[in-house]
Amino acid sequence: MNVEQIILIFVAASVTNNFVLTYFLGICPFIGVSNKVESAVGLGVATTFVMTMAATFTWLIYHYILVPNGLVFLQYVTFIIVIASFVQFVEMVIRKISPALYKALGIFLPLITTNCAILGLTLFMVLRDYTFIEAVIFGLGAGVGFTLALVLMAGIREELEFADVPDSLKGAGITLILAGMLALSFMGFGGLISG
Amino acid sequence: MIKNFFKSDVIKMISALAVVGVFSAITLVFVYEYSMPKIEENIRRATDEGIKSIFPEADTVEEMKHKGVFEVRGQDKNLMGYAFIAEGNGYQGPIQVIAGVDPGLRTMTGLQILESQETPGLGAEIAGDFRKQFSGLSVVDEIECIKNREPDKPGEIEAITGATISSQAVVNMLNNRLAELRDKLGVK
Amino acid sequence: MLKDVVKGLWRENPIFVQVLGMCPALAVTTRSIFGLSMGMATTFVLVSSSVVVSLIRKAVPPQVRIPMYTVVIATFVTAADYFLKANFFEISKALGPYVPLIVVNCLILGRAEAFASKNGVLRSFLDAAGMGIGFTAGLVILGSARELLGAGSLFGVRVMGEGFTNWIIMVLPAGAFITLGLLVGVFNLADQKIKKDTACHVTEKSG
Repeated sequence: MNVEQIILIFVAASVTNNFVLTYFLGICPFIGVSNKVESAVGLGVATTFVMTMAATFTWLIYHYILVPNGLVFLQYVTFIIVIASFVQFVEMVIRKISPALYKALGIFLPLITTNCAILGLTLFMVLRDYTFIEAVIFGLGAGVGFTLALVLMAGIREELEFADVPDSLKGAGITLILAGMLALSFMGFGGLISG
Repeated sequence: MIKNFFKSDVIKMISALAVVGVFSAITLVFVYEYSMPKIEENIRRATDEGIKSIFPEADTVEEMKHKGVFEVRGQDKNLMGYAFIAEGNGYQGPIQVIAGVDPGLRTMTGLQILESQETPGLGAEIAGDFRKQFSGLSVVDEIECIKNREPDKPGEIEAITGATISSQAVVNMLNNRLAELRDKLGVK
Repeated sequence: MLKDVVKGLWRENPIFVQVLGMCPALAVTTRSIFGLSMGMATTFVLVSSSVVVSLIRKAVPPQVRIPMYTVVIATFVTAADYFLKANFFEISKALGPYVPLIVVNCLILGRAEAFASKNGVLRSFLDAAGMGIGFTAGLVILGSARELLGAGSLFGVRVMGEGFTNWIIMVLPAGAFITLGLLVGVFNLADQKIKKDTACHVTEKSG
């Protein structure tokens, strides 16, 4: 296994091709849950976990069940079921094992199913023909990237409370404009990979 | 108690999900049957048009036993060259191109982008002037992607400003595929 | 009845007011034609799944309703994806993986959960159609603004004069965020103006 390739996939998924800021995946929670750093970290960690797991499971299902049986046309339905049931499973396990953690994460967990970043991740994984290890690393990197964007945004928004924002831009408007500026600064990482 | 539980809720839940699942699968089989021939036709047409634009005088195009490699012959049945499909990952997603090369695998005759999701205005420019650099390019050695200067040696390609990754991706996929082709066709 | 359709166009516009379904809204709107195609594909999925959800609403056990709605949505999305690939090959290539991502467009699940699961078929149909048209209109406006400044054209037709330099930033991710942010602001401003002119009314939030 090529170590360089793996590092490249990780860096690309987390920074240079950040899911939120270049692919626009996971915008709903990005705008909805980014007003406090604390909750942003919680959601980020939970999402990273589900992403890594979703990449692992959908890769196995896609390559060992769907492709050999010619059922590729069922991929969207299968993937979304895998993601939804995995989120459900994580929710149940966390509730059993650590009620405290469940309380902290509880409200965010169901939201993860409709996070397009996760379905997007599984689709990109298939499109790019990743090997199993690459897919798992890709899932992890995408999760880290999502967390990074979410936490950065939450940090900025906490500061924003003291700023004088025009009435009509309050809420979604200013958040989107800030996201645009973040996206601009993330473009600076673009040179990382070719160099 | 457990028995009752299973009788009522779980069975109802599972059967409801199963019914929806079966309906979904049946619908999709019909959709698949309807659209697959058309999709294959679309892909074939795109490939044909690509080859035609690289070899305007082509008469017969035949896919060889190596998948994605085509033998292109002219009016008098002489071998004009090979066309091959190359794929790789660009900046945003997969890039698929079709390229033409002479029978001796020394000079490229042209390049067409079949599929790309690169950024419009930047990476998507691989389908513009960047692509034209490949007509007549020497591929005796590996193609080299250079930045910020005019190509002055044979086999050099100037990257698109601001879209090095997309440019490099195209060059890499061509180099890989050419090496593979040399191997398969036994051309030195 | 008419109210069901109209609310999606302005008061509860999915893009500018509810800010839902952002992934496709931002990702594919580099050109107005892509915005239009994505809007139509989403409307198709939204209307069909709302009708089906409304039809089966009494037979669905509440615990598994979300997975069931999701399967229904995913089925229609696959159908739309294959249809586009078969009949509009060029457009489907441009939209790429964002067509399958309609599955997780929160707008669709949101309408299924908030409206179609509680209302009859006709009203669900009208609600979905209104939301779909509102969503499409939003995408076309966003796509046109970005294409006009980013490529100097509208629906592929050059409208800017020769001297116009394309604003590359408009077709980049950053431009998408900023344009949408400003459009949301403009929309709010216009809405406030209208609210001042007419008598006050209660806006209901749904999502």
